[in-house]
Amino acid sequence: MSAHALADLSDQLVVLAAAAYLLAALLLGAELASRAPWLGRAGVAVAVTGLAANAGAALTRALAVGRVPWGNMYEFSVTASAVIVAGFLAWVARRRDVSALGAFFVLPAVAVLGIGRLVLYARPGPLMPALQSGWLRVHVLAAIVGSSVLLLASIFSVLYLVADRLERRGAAPRPPLIAGGARTADPAGVQAAIAGYATAEAGEDAEAPDVGEVAAAPRRRLPAAATLDELAYRTAAFGFPIWTFAIMAGAIWAQAAWGRYWGWDPKETWSFITWVVYAAYLHARATAGWRGRGAAWIAVAGLGAWVFNFYVVNTVLVGLHSYSGL
Amino acid sequence: MAARGGPARQRLRRAWAEFRSMRTALVLLCTLAGASVLGSLFPQRPVSPDRVDGWLAAHPGIGPVLDRLGVFDVFGSAWFSAIYVALLAAVIACLVPRGRALARLLAAPPPRGGGRLDRYRSAVAFQAPGTPERAAATARRVLAGRRFRVAAHGPGELAAEKGYLRELGSILFHASFLLLLVGLALGKGTGFRGQMSVVEGDEAADARINYDVFTAGRFFGGGLPPFTLRLDDFTSTFRAAGQPAGFGSQLTVTGADGRVQRQRVTVNRPLTVDGVRVFQSDYGYAPWVTVTAPSGEVLSDGPVELLRNPDNEISTGAMRLPSLRPQLGLELTFFTGLRTPAQPGGGFQLVNRPQLDNPVLVAWPWQGDLRASRAASVFTLDVSRLRRAGPRPLVLRPGQTAGLPGGGTIALRSVRQYTVLTLARDRGVPVVGAAAGLILLGLLPSLYVRRRRVWVRAEPAPGGTRVELAGLALQGRLAFTAEFERLAGEVRAALGAPLSPARAPAAGGGAGEPGPAGGDGPGGRERDAGLLEAARAPSSGTTLAGDEPARAPGRPADPGGD
Repeated sequence: MSAHALADLSDQLVVLAAAAYLLAALLLGAELASRAPWLGRAGVAVAVTGLAANAGAALTRALAVGRVPWGNMYEFSVTASAVIVAGFLAWVARRRDVSALGAFFVLPAVAVLGIGRLVLYARPGPLMPALQSGWLRVHVLAAIVGSSVLLLASIFSVLYLVADRLERRGAAPRPPLIAGGARTADPAGVQAAIAGYATAEAGEDAEAPDVGEVAAAPRRRLPAAATLDELAYRTAAFGFPIWTFAIMAGAIWAQAAWGRYWGWDPKETWSFITWVVYAAYLHARATAGWRGRGAAWIAVAGLGAWVFNFYVVNTVLVGLHSYSGL
Repeated sequence: MAARGGPARQRLRRAWAEFRSMRTALVLLCTLAGASVLGSLFPQRPVSPDRVDGWLAAHPGIGPVLDRLGVFDVFGSAWFSAIYVALLAAVIACLVPRGRALARLLAAPPPRGGGRLDRYRSAVAFQAPGTPERAAATARRVLAGRRFRVAAHGPGELAAEKGYLRELGSILFHASFLLLLVGLALGKGTGFRGQMSVVEGDEAADARINYDVFTAGRFFGGGLPPFTLRLDDFTSTFRAAGQPAGFGSQLTVTGADGRVQRQRVTVNRPLTVDGVRVFQSDYGYAPWVTVTAPSGEVLSDGPVELLRNPDNEISTGAMRLPSLRPQLGLELTFFTGLRTPAQPGGGFQLVNRPQLDNPVLVAWPWQGDLRASRAASVFTLDVSRLRRAGPRPLVLRPGQTAGLPGGGTIALRSVRQYTVLTLARDRGVPVVGAAAGLILLGLLPSLYVRRRRVWVRAEPAPGGTRVELAGLALQGRLAFTAEFERLAGEVRAALGAPLSPARAPAAGGGAGEPGPAGGDGPGGRERDAGLLEAARAPSSGTTLAGDEPARAPGRPADPGGD
């Protein structure tokens, strides 16, 4: 196939992936609202299709331009959305019962892909001289993976905050369904918890007027707040070293290309800010008085830094990274 | 705590404890992030001085105040340094006791288990054949095989611990930032950075006078290594659509010791000479212009460096001829690939292609007072006391000559290119690189290594030995349940004990009573247990208070963990 045809195919696959993600988000959101498991299965299947199209888009783009597809912000977006959805699907593969939360992961991926296609789109082309380096592969791939994983961690933190609020609002600590719900580890306790859950379910109208209907419905589908907090931490702990490495690789490249490893260019500054915020999150989670909600809010600030770093810095602030497609 | 010393001393101690607490570090981290935000929102003098001037011109009221506060040089300001130095001081103050605690932990054998091992959440008991001594020796072998550090506390009793790398990594991670700062200060303090432009065929010595821009650290001795650079050739290549494909300078460098290097320096391929790195930064055009006075005297003969606009590849510059009467100034515009396609309306459209395929120099003469004594950009004329001479500009192609107003001639002999090189010496780079490596090296175990303690107690029992096993996870309890079950299974298999469900009820009581054999899929149980564990343990946590029976003796206060 000619480079032209491949590039066109890539563009079409991006649209297909975005459409599939949107449909998957709808199905998974409907699962959250209705609890129908077939919606979850269908949503996951559509998300897998979307991921395949997304990966195909990145691959055909790479073949069309004859290099790694990470030369500008549009190409960055295409790979980042694939990493986000792949991260979510990896979670679903381990715990099928969490697919109802898929909309919270697939929608950000749609946003990343959509903004990439509509705002940041760059025609396929060769790299400008400053980007012609082996470090492009190392630095940009690490940045894509690191930032996507940190984005996932922040989403877990947001979900944790929601679950935590609902759990605190619910008067009786009724066991959440997904987490198994038992407060004890022995099989008898599990049995008792399941029985208790059934009782609570049956007697809901009569005995639990203090819990709002709206609040009660998604609560049971959210994993326990503690589980989400743990997931957020582990995801951040996975993404943080990758992000650290991405910054270091960028510094090495900057040393080779510009003769200084660090120059407080806006992109460097905001990568540093993002790093500091997630470092603060990891520390806060081990600090009395900050653990839990305080730490989670820092992770939310990390999400803000992420969005600013990727969208505002490249489009509004003038810097050495501004060549990346705009 | 009993009062030691006066109340003032107590206050001091409390302040010290507060300073090295994680809370202080967190607040300082957040301050550091906030200060950096400030530095990214306002233009910064070291990065873009012209934008700072623009901002100051636009805000005459608040501008100077912010300038005094260092808002336009946040990362070089005293208060920014104060934040990170304070943060580092707090970290070091915290590291010293942590290091001591780790040393103590490593010096002593793993502490003995509690009075009743069945009180631990992960506990198991079973019957095994043989003597307690044999059971303990076997368990020791299994634990050592899983890289536990094992100590015997009396016959048949073992304590094992692993995961020391976590704390070691954490200390290494934090301490490496001190090294990073040392490298940074070393590089900035003793180094220099400058830009030099060299025209093709010219040679430039590494002397301060030859730099267009030069900044040096506070402790820079001023001794530039005496090498010389010659630009043999500059090449820039373009793709069909006109985007730059690459550019580079073919340099001949003669070092202080007379050693000659010939290398093509491109954007991502610098050259090193006498400890100075030479980077390709930019390029421009330098038309070779000869100006002759009416008398026939040659007033100027050489390449004139022009300022290239990378957006349209049009270069601009100026020439001053103060010796002519009246004084003559030439406003120069240079096109690399001038095309003038006809437009439907009858006019011409001006197109400039980036390739050097149809170079044209346009010189517009001005006469009057050049105000040459005033400092001004070499690329622009101060036309406040000049008037245009002649009705139209002089258009020159290479090899052409034109008459100047008031007599004399101007000739474009050829077009040369000049290269803009960045020269920098940073002795801190190896230190910073080593620090970065150590940061990563420390970070990984500090996040992923998990501390575990396991205790074994083997006592004589009718028909053999009763073996008790208990474990405690200081991090990652979620995973430990399954991990402990595997460990217990391995010990049991090594001892030749009959297989039966390994897990004892955590609520105490019937520990050691073998549960009903078979019947439950271990996978499913592990999974359930993991999830339940998650619901129970609020975090992978650092403090164990209230979570685990308080009977584990010698349990260290977790030194900072996650």
